[in-house]
Amino acid sequence: MADYDRRQSGGFNRKRRYRDDDEYDRRPQRRRFEAPLPVRIRKQLLGLAESPLRRWHEEVQSIAQAIAEGYDDQELQASFLDLVPQMVLEQPLKTPFVAAVVLVVNSLKPEVLDALLARITSATEEKAKEGEWRDVKLYLKFLACLQSCLEGDGLFLVLDELFSRAVDLQTASSEDTIGTELVKIILLTIPYILAAAPSTQSQQKAAELMDKTDIIASEPHALQVLIDPYHPEQESESPVASLSLISLLQKQLQNEAANDWPLSCLPRPWRMPLEEIEQQEKLDNAQKHTLPVISLPDKVTTGPRPLFPEIYYSVYVHQEVESVPPVSSIASSIIRDALLDTINVLHFNRNVTARFLIDADCYFAPGTFIKRATPFDRLREMDGDRSSWKPEDVAVDAVFSQLYQLPTPEHKLVYYHSVLTEACKIAPAAIAPSLGRAIRYCYQNSYRLDLELSHRFLDWFTHHLSNFGFMWKWTEWVDDVGLPDMHPCKSFILGALDKEIRLSFAQRIKGTLPEPYQALIGPEKEQDTPDFKFNHEHTPFSAEGKELAALLKRKAPDEEIQPVIDRIHSAALDQSIDPLVTSTDVFMTAVCWVGSKSLSHVLACIERTKDRLLDAGAASEAARAQIITAVVSYWSAHPGVAITIIEKLLNYSIVTPGAVIDWALVGDRAGPYGQALSKAWVFELVFHTVVKVTSRLRQVVKGGGTEGVQEEIAAMRELFRAMNDALISWAQGTKDQLMDPVSSDGGEDLVKRWGERWLRVFRRRSAIEEAFLSESQTSS
Amino acid sequence: MRTGVRSTVDRLDAPSAYYHSRNNKRRRNDHGRDGKDGKDGDTEMQDSKPEEPPEDPLRNATTLYVGNLSFYTTEEQVYELFSKCGEIKRLVMGLDRFQKTPCGFCFVEYYTHQDALDCMKYIGGTKLDERVIRTDLDPGFEEGRQYGRGKSGGQVRDEYRDDFDEGRGGLGRAIQAERMRDSERNREKDTHHEDDYGRLR
Repeated sequence: MADYDRRQSGGFNRKRRYRDDDEYDRRPQRRRFEAPLPVRIRKQLLGLAESPLRRWHEEVQSIAQAIAEGYDDQELQASFLDLVPQMVLEQPLKTPFVAAVVLVVNSLKPEVLDALLARITSATEEKAKEGEWRDVKLYLKFLACLQSCLEGDGLFLVLDELFSRAVDLQTASSEDTIGTELVKIILLTIPYILAAAPSTQSQQKAAELMDKTDIIASEPHALQVLIDPYHPEQESESPVASLSLISLLQKQLQNEAANDWPLSCLPRPWRMPLEEIEQQEKLDNAQKHTLPVISLPDKVTTGPRPLFPEIYYSVYVHQEVESVPPVSSIASSIIRDALLDTINVLHFNRNVTARFLIDADCYFAPGTFIKRATPFDRLREMDGDRSSWKPEDVAVDAVFSQLYQLPTPEHKLVYYHSVLTEACKIAPAAIAPSLGRAIRYCYQNSYRLDLELSHRFLDWFTHHLSNFGFMWKWTEWVDDVGLPDMHPCKSFILGALDKEIRLSFAQRIKGTLPEPYQALIGPEKEQDTPDFKFNHEHTPFSAEGKELAALLKRKAPDEEIQPVIDRIHSAALDQSIDPLVTSTDVFMTAVCWVGSKSLSHVLACIERTKDRLLDAGAASEAARAQIITAVVSYWSAHPGVAITIIEKLLNYSIVTPGAVIDWALVGDRAGPYGQALSKAWVFELVFHTVVKVTSRLRQVVKGGGTEGVQEEIAAMRELFRAMNDALISWAQGTKDQLMDPVSSDGGEDLVKRWGERWLRVFRRRSAIEEAFLSESQTSS
Repeated sequence: MRTGVRSTVDRLDAPSAYYHSRNNKRRRNDHGRDGKDGKDGDTEMQDSKPEEPPEDPLRNATTLYVGNLSFYTTEEQVYELFSKCGEIKRLVMGLDRFQKTPCGFCFVEYYTHQDALDCMKYIGGTKLDERVIRTDLDPGFEEGRQYGRGKSGGQVRDEYRDDFDEGRGGLGRAIQAERMRDSERNREKDTHHEDDYGRLR
């Protein structure tokens, strides 16, 4: 896997008579020469356990032998001591196997271990100082696998030290998250120690440690409600209310302890089969080493990423047949943890990540999973003893837990999209049905999913389909087409079709849909450019509209535009309507129409007219709103274009974030009677606007400048306050529009529920920004 | 790569072999004008100084070359997909020199280098408009920069292609021209286009 290439799977342009612009170098390989030993060993180590055809103990022994024999080579020494720590961090699924190699090396050439342990422990110290807790965890996991060759209590001493730190932190603050993280690390390290050194002494030490962690692990964390992926309706409980990761771990470990630590999913490549009794003896009697002290920094820090408590999320736990480990089993946590580290560490090569996910069963004990690509329906026919865990379900589950991670996962969401895409490309027959079941679960539960996550689901779903010919079994949701637009399922369908069209075009998407859906894509969506309403004689100010468009088209100077605007103003005054709003509507609509050929056109047109637009936007709240209205109504069939244009208008400060929020959430402009709240594109518009504001503020704060920071902070708070006020009245049903008797068709409860869901999302955003601000204040 | 230590697996955010080979070539014969190269060397670039500074011009690159697009893929589609990696600062569609219609490539500029790297990692090699697209870091668009195109005005790769690629005008143009010399093409005829098409700030 080391030299994994970037070959594309598409088979286009096989004939390379003319070099095309897909310049992946695919020249025929030169004849292989025998690579030098360090290079060969590197290659073998990197490929450890990848092939299910090789037997673990043979592979481990042969590599260890080669290392021990060639260890006098300086280059080999250096490369080995560099590679092991790096592999432990970059390919965590292979850690037990690397450890097994090291253990066999120890039985042959014990002095190697002293150098290696020194290397690992000092690297651990370094990472702890930086607050890179995942790296610390990965090093400790490796050391745990080496426990059998460590003197005395070995790694337990380090875990004890970690625990005492955690206690201090937790006592100091109930909102502390580093302590929680440390306890998580301790609990995830214990099983590896017990798999490597299952002695009574280890069991006892583990029991003592777990007695102590119990208090912290069992206490629900203060921030848990904030990051719960579900947002249950009132009077019902979140399905994951009791699934905080560390409390689960604590229970699962206690369960294992009660059964003499079977830890049946963990691989034990250091255990030799019976015929290798000699090697086993050598291993058992190999020299033991003192683990160098790992001292933790005096003041532990969060590191580059803010920490939050974690909740165990699965899209498959509620099935009648187990296709993933149940939350009662330690396997659920151990496997998830290893997969998540793999996914998040290997962000720089999604192909390799996907490969690891597909091959997950190679890295756990034989029999942990059912054979790959076993159809779900066949799980029922399994005997009671055999595992029914589908490796592809476990893999997909892990990626979904990241897609649904609150407040945000480690990487951009599109990374997780791309991992699923690649996995689906590598093993479509195995992965696609698993994804299908995940999609159904998410769809059926969209009513109680956090609204931000519903949107992540929508975005992933449509992006994924765009990579696979937009194929989805729409027939199974046919009954939902008749639901009111505000129903969460219908809202999802409408949002999905719009997103699909944005990545493709209306006609193409229509072709993928069964009859009942056809009506959802009207003729206006198939039109290349929307009509210009002022081309119709009946539209008021039709003549002025046409005239402005003609002027804009030939890039006439502003002096020629002003007279037309003046004419509109005076006519509007005669009809006693707001002159500025009227002229803004005509002008902005004309800009949209003139620029309708492409985003470049409209943006160039806005650039040319920005002074006029800035003046209009600055003049009154009503005019600002009218700019947005004009854009959205011109592009009503393609809200994605409208959103991009508004985003650019925000960049020019032609409209303000407050104006966008106001436009979307107060009043009827984005849809009557609160229907706006159910529209995916309205959420997208508001969400993007808020993200724009908060990320700008973060940039300013991180930049360390003081000028204007207070104003920016105040503006952000004001924005959140305004959203809160607007949304509360929807959520509580006190909005005037809601009270309107015309709208009382049972939709009220739906609107209230949408209001609640919106409210939760933006209250969380606000809380997280406040946390960031107070954090940066204390650290500066 | 970025950390200075070689990773145990290759990185997808490294510039392609194309970029390096082109740069080496330029260094060797001073003026790297050769249209045969895949992505069509720049026909005009600021006169290359004899001694280039060792600084990597892609170190802070925020622009990506995007290739293998369909001729029918719109800016809006590119926006929709590429915004998933960050806000787009500017998008420049590559246009056929004569017809002024999209000819299958574009440049996407982000606000940050990280966004561009993420785009390499997460979007390069995935599909847009049902074609596998290709991304490559690019030192950036400068006013007046010309993108080498073939005799027919499109990308060189579309001159002699002997596979039928519907999204890129069917057969290679040189071949097509031979075969259908007299048949009128009406599809891409576009009567009005603006000078500033594709120039976006």
